[in-house]
Amino acid sequence: MPRLTGFVVVIIGAWMSVLSASAQSTAASAPRTADGKIDLNGVYQASPLRGAWDPSQPGPPLSEQPSLTPAARQRAQELLNRRSIDDPTAICLPSAGPRMSGVILFPIQFVQTPGQVVIIYEYMNAVRIIPTDGRPHPADAEPTYQGDSVGRWEGDTLVVDINNFKEGNWLAAGVVSSDKLHITERYARVDKDQINYEAVIEDPVLLTKPWTIRRTLMLREGVRVREYVCAENNLDPGRYQEYLKNPSLFMRSPEQAAPPR
Amino acid sequence: MRLILALFVALAAAIPAWAHHSFGATFDVNTPVTVTGVLTKVQWTNPHSHLYLDVKDKDGAVVAWMFEGYPSVVLSRTGWTRDQTIKIGDTLTVFGWRARDKSPFALGREVTLADGKRLFFGPPAGTGEGPSVAPGN
Repeated sequence: MPRLTGFVVVIIGAWMSVLSASAQSTAASAPRTADGKIDLNGVYQASPLRGAWDPSQPGPPLSEQPSLTPAARQRAQELLNRRSIDDPTAICLPSAGPRMSGVILFPIQFVQTPGQVVIIYEYMNAVRIIPTDGRPHPADAEPTYQGDSVGRWEGDTLVVDINNFKEGNWLAAGVVSSDKLHITERYARVDKDQINYEAVIEDPVLLTKPWTIRRTLMLREGVRVREYVCAENNLDPGRYQEYLKNPSLFMRSPEQAAPPR
Repeated sequence: MRLILALFVALAAAIPAWAHHSFGATFDVNTPVTVTGVLTKVQWTNPHSHLYLDVKDKDGAVVAWMFEGYPSVVLSRTGWTRDQTIKIGDTLTVFGWRARDKSPFALGREVTLADGKRLFFGPPAGTGEGPSVAPGN
């Protein structure tokens, strides 16, 4: 048991150290493509540790807590009191990049070609196509769950601007976006094994100031992205309908839930 | 053990999302359960897999238990091989947390196989439900 305690402490320490990593770190030892760009190709896991796939570790803590507007904080508390049953992922919907990139149980594949980076998330079978050829956001973009992404290279860092989100994106438990959500992501592959990821989240309805999330994505050689069809056997929506007939069975009691201030 | 569980729960609460369904909506962290029974059915599916066990209660009556765990894609990277790791008729011991409605249904955290090997089958307690207090409080 002391060994397990030590392991947990090591993991927490590792996350703390990577969370302070800068997305603009130097990339001298990172692989490059034929056109001289940093090569992001590979399959990764959100993790503080290099090496093989590791399903047992705790996931990344939030590197920075969001500063919510009073209305957003009250809504968050109400949703947390319902133990997050309203989270759209419970009905198999995808979410924005900062959340998708932090789901440690599922690999993420980067496919990079000249003028484009494609991110394939096994979680929810979600795909983001990110042009890097200088084109702007399309004028006719429809709001979507993952938003519209356009990328550009700033030195060795891929910078992705995301807008046009549907409202109602759960960025964390109870932290729900408006249609004003705007995210700037930075991907910096600092060496063969590690991408430093940073997302700056802006939403004037949700947040009183920009919210920055940092984590590391670690290369997992030999791991393949598989098909994940969440709708295959999703029993929870039906359960939740039953639970709502008797909410006291599952909702946090007043003693457990602090009222919003 | 309580310290470890508390650490895991605290970390899980801080995580944006590393599994998508709320633990606490369905399961009660205060009712851990360990049962041993005979495997009658396996659902190797997404977003959750399920094990069905016939378990004899203290009076000898057979109770059909259901354990929910990781999606099949995750189990495939957690030491499990479909149709090989476990087979119908195997005697398994499962540790987890029981459903709030007290039915013979639980989240299955760890499975002990007939040969004594132990494998994680589902996530830790607290996953997916978020913290009890909204950020910024």
